Amino acid sequence: MAKLGRNAWYDLTRATNWTPKYVSEDELFPEEMSGARGIPAATWETYDEPYKTSYPEYVEIQREKDAGTYSIKAALERSAFVDKADPGWVSTMQAHYGAIPLGEYLASIGEARMARFSKAPGNRNMATFGMMDENRHAQLQLFFPHANIQRSVKWDWAHKGLRTNEWAAVAARSLFDDIVTSRDAISTAIMLTFAFETGFTNMQFLGLAADAAETGDHTFASLISSIQTDESRHSQQGGPALEILIANGKKAEAQQLIDVAIWRSWKLFAVLTGPLMDYYTPVEARKLSFKEFMQEWIVAQFERQLLDMGLAKPWYWDILMRDLEITHHGMQMGIWYWRPTVWWNPAAGVTPDERDWLEEKYPGWNKRWGRVWDVITDNLLNDREALTLPETLPTICNMCNLPITHIPGDDWDIKDWQYEYEGRLYHFGSEPDLWCFKIDPERYKGHLSIVDRFIGGLIQPATLEGALQYMGLGPEEMGRDAHLYAWVEKFRRAKAAAA
Amino acid sequence: MPRTDDVLNNNRVGPVMRSGEIAQAVIEAAEMDNPGKAITVEDMHAYLRISTDTEMILTRESIEQCLGRPFRMQELEINLSSFAGKIESGTDRFRFYFTTKM
Repeated sequence: MAKLGRNAWYDLTRATNWTPKYVSEDELFPEEMSGARGIPAATWETYDEPYKTSYPEYVEIQREKDAGTYSIKAALERSAFVDKADPGWVSTMQAHYGAIPLGEYLASIGEARMARFSKAPGNRNMATFGMMDENRHAQLQLFFPHANIQRSVKWDWAHKGLRTNEWAAVAARSLFDDIVTSRDAISTAIMLTFAFETGFTNMQFLGLAADAAETGDHTFASLISSIQTDESRHSQQGGPALEILIANGKKAEAQQLIDVAIWRSWKLFAVLTGPLMDYYTPVEARKLSFKEFMQEWIVAQFERQLLDMGLAKPWYWDILMRDLEITHHGMQMGIWYWRPTVWWNPAAGVTPDERDWLEEKYPGWNKRWGRVWDVITDNLLNDREALTLPETLPTICNMCNLPITHIPGDDWDIKDWQYEYEGRLYHFGSEPDLWCFKIDPERYKGHLSIVDRFIGGLIQPATLEGALQYMGLGPEEMGRDAHLYAWVEKFRRAKAAAA
Repeated sequence: MPRTDDVLNNNRVGPVMRSGEIAQAVIEAAEMDNPGKAITVEDMHAYLRISTDTEMILTRESIEQCLGRPFRMQELEINLSSFAGKIESGTDRFRFYFTTKM
């Protein structure tokens, strides 16, 4: 008997809403979990996911994806790429693996929320696949770095990272908890799948794949670009949810959910992806700059799609466009300076050639960040390493949980946006960070940044050593300069040649 | 360097494919299925951005012809890492499109 094509039966089998007899609809779909916002179930039934699949197709396609990814890993393992790779690239992978895999499990929780509680049958159906996708991503990204644990315990941070109180892990968890695991189903569809996955995951999983392929790391390029094929499908859950909200008078609320998710995601990608692309990846392998990748994926592709939905640019659009040139340079400097507090070895990425590249991509880089690196370089040239290591604490933003940073030098414009709420003084790195807080202070008020914890006496002993211990960083795990200051020698040679 | 709003004001739609045999077939199929339209390919090594203005159709028939073997549209997913525009996914064709024009 010939099988019917999916188009012939899909709409019928998707119609899985029924009238409950033993409980009320509100008990079956509590508002705080479903987020139907008073829109009737019959309207949610019109939700039509644009990128469809069926279970038999899903299993077959995913098997094929995995077969491809695992066979590339197996084929290339013997070439021991990691042993030959530039230390900056090794750090790129270690930073990625420490920050991402367990976040994938959190995304599974977000998908499960939609699979169970969305009133839209199409959303529930696609989220069931999305839930399995995210499990695949977590397992792949736990398995791949595991092969390298024999080389360094830093690779074990794939398992360990997100469970610790290391500051970058705290920042990542804060974002994931806010937009992935703690929202109702419809907010999750919009913040996780639409804003985060249609938008930002392309940066880390395709932009970085382009750099990986140039670096010669074909295993990593194949792995992350394959992961993004799942994202490409299940990220399409947000669009139809947005259409229903807009058609039912909830446009302003939808816009706000997106704007919060974009800003918070931007900050995390500025600290994670920005330095990896513009400082750690060997300069000859950089396909585009972080800013150019942001323009490709977030401005030209994601934001354009948002406008097509009938939504507007976020109110902070001009701030975001300006900060594409700024934020991650400060983050890079902070990470490198506080290098013992991260699980990877930060690359400075400021040899003369690299500085030329930065100046070309970010005109004015030398007179802003370059001047600060001049001081660091000079200290290292004169055996004053201690002056390049941290003795004080940065001011941490109470929204993004990252250091407050902006332009140093003559154009100095760093500002701590302060706000007092119920007797506590909060600090924010930007106007949009403060705006996120003001929307829902009850949601955010209890959280303590890593510096709040230090000053509040929760970290003992209250020394750098005590803080490192609190963050889960043993002597083998804490970061040092990725190239063991080999880059400083280029300046020494240039100086000697000039003399 | 282009101004960011110039980057935003575009009507480019189409798939972003992992490089390989399927991506090459999709480039050819895009030419066949969208007669008279200019198809642009940006090769980033790890991925290829295949795009055209406002609407792009890809049919199973054309991809099969380019590959020289049977192909189910769902297989496209194995290499479809991302896409610009909105999507419609059927068993005989995919469509990438915008409803508005900048």
